[in-house]
Amino acid sequence: MFDISDAAPFDEAFGESGAVRDEYVAAYNYFSQKGVSGIEHMQQSADLSLLNQGVTFTVYSDARGTEKIFPYDLMPRLITATEWARIEAGIIQRITALNLFLEDIYHDQNILRSGLIPASQILGSNLYCREMSGLDPAGGIHIHIAGVDLIRNQDGEFMVLEDNLRCPSGVSYVVENRMVSSRIMPELLGSYRVRPVSQYPQMLFEALASFSGENKPVIALLTPGVYNSAYFEHAFLASQMGAQLVQGQDLLVNNDILYMKSTRGIQRIDVLYLRLDTEFIDPLVFRPDSLLGVPGLMHAYRAGNVTLANAPGNGVADDKSLYAYTPDIIRYYLGEDPILPIVPTYLGSRPADLAYMLDNLDKLVLKPTDASGGYGILVGSHASKQELAEFKAKLKAEPAHYIGQPIQQLSTHPSFLEQDNSKKFCARHIDLRPFAVCSADGTVRVLSGGLTRVALRRGSLVVNSSQGGGSKDTWVLYPDSADTAPGGQHA
Amino acid sequence: MLSRTAHSLYQLGFLIERTENIARILDVNSRMSVEHEVFSELDVWSPILEITDNMDNFEEHYGEICEASVVRLLLADSDNPYSVRACLLNAREIARSVRELISEEIWLHINLFFHEMEREFSGGELRRWQHFSEKVHMFANAFHGMIYNTMVRGDAWQFMRLGFGLERARMIPRILQIKYHMLLPSPEAVGSPLDIHQWQALLRSVSGYEAYRRLYQARIEPAKVVNLLLLNPGFPRSLHFGIREVSLALREIGMYNEDQYRLYQHTERFLDDLRGGAASEDIIAMGLNDYLSTVNQRCKTLALMINKTFFDTITVTLTDQQSGSLTIQIPQQQQIQLYTEQQAG
Repeated sequence: MFDISDAAPFDEAFGESGAVRDEYVAAYNYFSQKGVSGIEHMQQSADLSLLNQGVTFTVYSDARGTEKIFPYDLMPRLITATEWARIEAGIIQRITALNLFLEDIYHDQNILRSGLIPASQILGSNLYCREMSGLDPAGGIHIHIAGVDLIRNQDGEFMVLEDNLRCPSGVSYVVENRMVSSRIMPELLGSYRVRPVSQYPQMLFEALASFSGENKPVIALLTPGVYNSAYFEHAFLASQMGAQLVQGQDLLVNNDILYMKSTRGIQRIDVLYLRLDTEFIDPLVFRPDSLLGVPGLMHAYRAGNVTLANAPGNGVADDKSLYAYTPDIIRYYLGEDPILPIVPTYLGSRPADLAYMLDNLDKLVLKPTDASGGYGILVGSHASKQELAEFKAKLKAEPAHYIGQPIQQLSTHPSFLEQDNSKKFCARHIDLRPFAVCSADGTVRVLSGGLTRVALRRGSLVVNSSQGGGSKDTWVLYPDSADTAPGGQHA
Repeated sequence: MLSRTAHSLYQLGFLIERTENIARILDVNSRMSVEHEVFSELDVWSPILEITDNMDNFEEHYGEICEASVVRLLLADSDNPYSVRACLLNAREIARSVRELISEEIWLHINLFFHEMEREFSGGELRRWQHFSEKVHMFANAFHGMIYNTMVRGDAWQFMRLGFGLERARMIPRILQIKYHMLLPSPEAVGSPLDIHQWQALLRSVSGYEAYRRLYQARIEPAKVVNLLLLNPGFPRSLHFGIREVSLALREIGMYNEDQYRLYQHTERFLDDLRGGAASEDIIAMGLNDYLSTVNQRCKTLALMINKTFFDTITVTLTDQQSGSLTIQIPQQQQIQLYTEQQAG
């Protein structure tokens, strides 16, 4: 039932000799016992449960469009307490440093004066938000909510692939997946000592509330509306936090104070959780054609009458080309070595790196610095001679526009699917996105869980849901659970 | 509560109520035409199209009036705003947009029924439509049970109740008009077995047959049926009951500006007119059909006032530079129209 022929050099469940890793023994036995028909049955009830809950995204925008669920892969991904301790510390360190970095570049710019990062890298970026210059957000915090994408390389080491400091999404799937797991495999869940994830909305609420002086702050979540693909998550978080779910048309700014229009008149908002790109939030300051935002919002923000989370202008810190500098940023602000390494990155803007990139195109992944969602990427090993030649020309023309990274072997994990006309667990590539929130005093808290995304297509390294990706419930274990859990408690 | 979400909840309330009412109207007709063989000269389907404002729509798209095509128009035609399917599609979209304000059970209930309906209609044939129509009743009844049992009696509940109450009040005259439109072949037929059969069918369609028998025993007299459906304050599908729900909801929502106060006063006056014996006399003096038209008109006015008061404008107190303050009503921005509001008034 377990097919490990596609396993990467590092597989999460199977060691080098093909033996099941200690922490996976209980899960392996559980699924082996269920048999294929038992597992198929579980898969069906999981899918039905997600469909009924409306945890879906619409493929067409009209009301009758086909609805699909974000595929849920049955076998949970396990993370031991030791592994987690490192991830958690690494993320706290990273977010703390990036917060200091953002506060610095929008004020004194010491890091630019020191010459550690070329000024053009920051000030020339179209993601640098001039409107944030000299603005003092509460607590000096710019990153209130972050999602950090991690991968595991051939040696099993966790590395940072990308930071998401603007509108990281996916946390609702973390909570929903756990609810599904507890419904369809309570015995297995009960046999491990798994850390809960359902407290996330409260974590988020408390972090956001800390930015308001009010005893009972009014928190609202600004959504682009029901047709946004992440709308489910917006409604989920608002509902779970007891916050107002608002659209631009529900808000107005008067005398630099943000209000929402209610049936009893207008009511002040203290904290606005933005689930909208910066360029759309205020037509007076950013894109004038935006109907999704609130005219005057940035004035209210600048006057200190409302907290925006995340702060506008964070894009400059999760930019692909800045990524290469993040280890230096951590050392500069914290005087510590980074706990989580990054993937080695070559910058087209550095002459030495550029020369290397031009010579080794076939060994690298090349990414444009200003695009996301997998657009414009060249995977050197998969490209034809002609494509390589064309890309070389583009790289020479605009070197600063590209970065290069050695092709990474993502770790694999057993995933239940159909291959060669039979249903079984096959090895598929995965990544991990843990979520963190930051309070006004600078405390960063990481949710002990995360979104594990799976590339369900054979051999694919792309985990995005739009590219046929699925997700897994991610079980972060309490210390010592690996010793006591397997077979220790009965099902 | 946000004006926009208040509007959504109000719409959700009246869409669920309307879904149920369409199924009920179809039931009346189906029941009235059970003895179709015997009374084949009766056209039972034209009145229903008149009452649901669908006559033109029907003639344009369907042609010959028969059970199959009327049923299709009123149940499965998602282009017709007055169909079960369109109402449920909209109700679900709205429920999705206010998910954070309704309980998890309610969302699940709507979503489950939506998927069931789509499966039902995907086959093309509607052979078991009576069966489906019963399911609609059960869906709506369970919905009421759920909001009663799971929702806090806050603004969200009150706006939903406002939608329910108003739509219910609007439907009763329509159902009574079916009987009025269904002219008997001759004046002698009044009081005939066919006449009685039709009144019974009408009562059954509003779950009122048992109530009637309990109150007035077995003999069916049109005046008493009319009394029960329009004026009885205790019967949950009467006009009186619906308007009282509107009034109670408005009182709980509260009055924060003059328009809201005036709306409440207006509703109370409507309610006063339904109380006591005055209304029965009005009905006799005006004739049933004229009285029903008046009621329709009043309900329509009420709907317009509700829209203006809560959803189209908003009260804002502005502060000028000399710190003087001014309270004004400003228009709400245009909402995205998910459905045709023609029937909503």
